[in-house]
Amino acid sequence: MNSFGRALQHRSAQIVPPLAWGALFLFAWERFVIWREIKPFLLPAPSAIWQQLKLNKSGIWQTAINTGTNAVIGLIAGVLVGLVIAFVAQRYETVRALIAPIGAALNTMPIVALGPVFYNLFGSTSDTARRVVIGLVAFFPVFVNTLRGLTQVDPIHSELMRSYAASESAFLRLVRLPNALGFTITGIRIAASLSVIAAVVVEYFGGLQNGLGSRAASAMKLSATAKGWAYVAAACALGLCFYLFAVVLERVAMPWQARRRASERA
Amino acid sequence: MSSSPSAAAVDVRGVSKIFNPGKANQVDALLDVSMTVTPGSFVSLIGPSGCGKSTLLRLIGDLTSSTSGTLTVNGKDAAHARKDQDYGMAFQQAGLFEWRKVHRNIELPLELRGWDKAKRRARSTELLQLVQLPTFGDHYPWELSGGMQQRVAIARALAIDPPLLLMDEPFGALDEMTREHMQAELLRICAQTGKTVIFVTHSIPEAVFLSNQVVVMSARPGRITHVIDVDLGDRINPDEVRESAEFFKKITEVREALRGAEGGHGVRVDDR
Repeated sequence: MNSFGRALQHRSAQIVPPLAWGALFLFAWERFVIWREIKPFLLPAPSAIWQQLKLNKSGIWQTAINTGTNAVIGLIAGVLVGLVIAFVAQRYETVRALIAPIGAALNTMPIVALGPVFYNLFGSTSDTARRVVIGLVAFFPVFVNTLRGLTQVDPIHSELMRSYAASESAFLRLVRLPNALGFTITGIRIAASLSVIAAVVVEYFGGLQNGLGSRAASAMKLSATAKGWAYVAAACALGLCFYLFAVVLERVAMPWQARRRASERA
Repeated sequence: MSSSPSAAAVDVRGVSKIFNPGKANQVDALLDVSMTVTPGSFVSLIGPSGCGKSTLLRLIGDLTSSTSGTLTVNGKDAAHARKDQDYGMAFQQAGLFEWRKVHRNIELPLELRGWDKAKRRARSTELLQLVQLPTFGDHYPWELSGGMQQRVAIARALAIDPPLLLMDEPFGALDEMTREHMQAELLRICAQTGKTVIFVTHSIPEAVFLSNQVVVMSARPGRITHVIDVDLGDRINPDEVRESAEFFKKITEVREALRGAEGGHGVRVDDR
């Protein structure tokens, strides 16, 4: 078999089983709801949720855009700030000593819970509060991982660069940055997932009623359970989009890793 | 050994290295060490763990600084020699940059010296020929075996064509077969390039096979106890050499020197 055929076979071996399991799960769910005559406001059948998705297509699309926009803006801001502060902390020992414990302490805090505080601060009629929360959530994994990648350099690489009489800037460019890249991408991948979760959850705490989280919550409150589930399904799809983006980013930014993984599959 | 320091590749005079001086955890890594390495010779440093052989190598490479004594490389002080890149270095781990292909790993020191791209590629192609990996330039390091990675590391150390090679147990992580093969390869490369080599090792046969001179060291404090000259000829047929009486005689000599070094200082009463 040629290599393309083999690659295709691997790809399908990867994709088919989870799809088959997913389909089986949905089918079992559907049959279970019908068989046990579950009340639709308790657990709607997948077909009912699908109906709602089709019925509210444009509304769901628009709310997904609203929530997604918040998540994207928050994520970008969090990543940028995380990168900048990681660089500063790498460069200046005192900054590192100052920020690391604060970062660790804040990281254990459920930041989404700050939603109401920020709604109060920035006003509940704008998206600012939400974006600040998402930004904070996205900041930590990027900051922590990037700083680790910048500082944890293989001692042999340090000695080699010293033996080459390399300047500090050459060391940063040729060793620290490429070394940090993998760590940073891991941070962004975590941040991307977290930012969608934060974007949806922070809507539960109030603010505008224009997002997937707020619509899902209000639909549930009105016992329009299937409709609520439709919004939840859209939130899952949004999360998946962010995850796929992170995977593509990794492929593009780290070709040596991509090639390695491809060969490990073979 | 030459008596004229100006002609020496490396000249070490009364060098000591003390870690944490004056503190409870003071370690006399090296005490009053002197040696001279003539250009073109192959010198091995051998001794028990903690005898300071790697520290001595790092001092020569100016990767750490001595507490006292003088040290010249190529007639300059060690810091100056490092800045002029008078030596290339190889470690036990190949230490290749995983994000760079083999070519670009070898080219890194040239890049730092501002060589243009075409010239760099020509040089790395030439070096890959020398270490007998001509077709691996466009591979990533993880695609190579340990022995192949170590060849790339040697090619990288040779990139700027320094007169001196400093090697810290470069074959220590390889299996015996690969190791013996790499030893023969290294000799061939040295014969072809005329480098001076200082080679740290734990292995007596390795030291004897490779060297013109085996420097035996003792631990705590680290010092040179014996210098054993070896002459096994050109070693074009490695297997023949490894089975020769002279080879075994020298192995015994080094082993006894090591044992003597151990016995002489192992019973020393620590008066700190």
